[in-house]
Amino acid sequence: MSASANVEVNIKDCETADPEKLAVFEKHISDGGLIEPNDWMPEAYRTLMLRMAEHHANSEIVGALPEGEWITRAPSLLRKLALTAKVQDEVGHGQMLYEVAQDLGKSRNAMLRDLITGVTKYHNCFNYPCPTWADICMIAWLIDGAAILNQGTLAHGSFGPYIRTMRRINMEEAFHFKHGEDMVLTLMSGTAKQKKMAQEAFDRWWDPSLAFFGPNDRPDERERPAMKWRMKTATNDELRQKFVNRFAPAAMATGLVINVCKKDENGLVISATPDPKLKLNEETGNWDFTQPDWDEFFKVIRGNGPCNKDRLALRRFSYEQGEWVRRAILDGSTEKPCNN
Amino acid sequence: MLSKARTNVPLVSGELTTKEVGGFPVWEVFTQKKEPDAHLHAGSLSAPDASFAQQFAREHYGQDQECTSLWVGLREIFTCDTGGLETYEVFVQWKAGDKHEHVGEVEAASGAEAKIKGAEQFVGDKTNCSMWVAPISKLTKINSATDMIWRETTKQEYRLAKGYSRIVRQKWDALRAKKAVDAYQEEDLKDTF
Repeated sequence: MSASANVEVNIKDCETADPEKLAVFEKHISDGGLIEPNDWMPEAYRTLMLRMAEHHANSEIVGALPEGEWITRAPSLLRKLALTAKVQDEVGHGQMLYEVAQDLGKSRNAMLRDLITGVTKYHNCFNYPCPTWADICMIAWLIDGAAILNQGTLAHGSFGPYIRTMRRINMEEAFHFKHGEDMVLTLMSGTAKQKKMAQEAFDRWWDPSLAFFGPNDRPDERERPAMKWRMKTATNDELRQKFVNRFAPAAMATGLVINVCKKDENGLVISATPDPKLKLNEETGNWDFTQPDWDEFFKVIRGNGPCNKDRLALRRFSYEQGEWVRRAILDGSTEKPCNN
Repeated sequence: MLSKARTNVPLVSGELTTKEVGGFPVWEVFTQKKEPDAHLHAGSLSAPDASFAQQFAREHYGQDQECTSLWVGLREIFTCDTGGLETYEVFVQWKAGDKHEHVGEVEAASGAEAKIKGAEQFVGDKTNCSMWVAPISKLTKINSATDMIWRETTKQEYRLAKGYSRIVRQKWDALRAKKAVDAYQEEDLKDTF
């Protein structure tokens, strides 16, 4: 799973760039050209790309935390193997993305520390709880499904190292998504108790999945640096619509009901009523739907969500506990290659 | 059951109590999917030394994306102009966005000479984005047949999308058929009783 990188950069920064070089750079991008780390780029491009990759990397490693909690409680050996592989993949994605970000000028250590102390953010959807196994199923199906839609467009971006990483990541996300679909189908073909558990988890994750793509588009979305320089190739609302078109009919075909839910401060659903707006719009060919609760989204993003503190506390705990290990291994030599 | 460590994590915030340790150097990894394909740049990783770099590379670039051979080297060795008389592997990135591709090897007295020879022999008039050369004495080569973890001990389908295609198809079919059957039975009951 991963993140839509909704990070901003001050447009004024672009004005400090050498206008001639900037013109060549922008022409190269609009002609479909790609940028490699050694090419000239405006500082604002470097900053924005770094923040995008860093935010994405943070999201990968924090996203692995709620899933990691369920490895020991997976319902079968196959599920345990698959979930372990998924968690390993997510942390691996983080590792690759930190490399991309590091090459743009910020050390891995600084990024890991800024994440823990709250200087930088990770994807909002990982601030919600996973009280049952069905939450793991829904994350793999909905959140990884959303990530594939998002990253499929990011793979057509302009920064070479990032798009190479996206291609590799998407291959692994396809496994996560397919495994998620298998798990959701298993529950929805099961007993009444399994179906109830799936529906309750679906109610918890539908809203965060819609919010996954980030806030609604602004009128000048396409003129902003992220899209002008082809770091993002689709807007948040376009991706959200694509997601609903794909997942609403699929969810209903399994027997799930798409509800509008109210949640308590622990992220648990206190009321659920079928989405009154949900229907296929014959004119547009799109599914109409109720927007996620944006007030709640911004509240959680500011650090007041159900699990913000737990996620960062666990990350802090493992970072601080691991410090002596990093120190110990750094005493070794890096000069000699090890041919065994 | 969660482990004790996970259930008893202290909810601390603010500054970290540990100091920042030194950074790990960056290593470049190349993999060959199958014989006789060229080795392609798989990506980079941070590791404290060559033995960790090898282990991370095996785990990270050699597991899902199966390969027959894997090369690992410190990033510096690919761009260094110094070095002694030996064989250098030559890698070319033909255009921006592509991966660096292994194109062959040259004998040279230094990295700088290897770059000149590599450009003459493998690039010529063709346009290219960047070229790396690496002395083979500083490159760790891992042969998957003898030296790759996990391989041939466990089936790996569970960690690939294609491992789920058939079962997902079957479950969709069963679910839809069951619904059709339910609907049929409902009508049946209505008409008969």
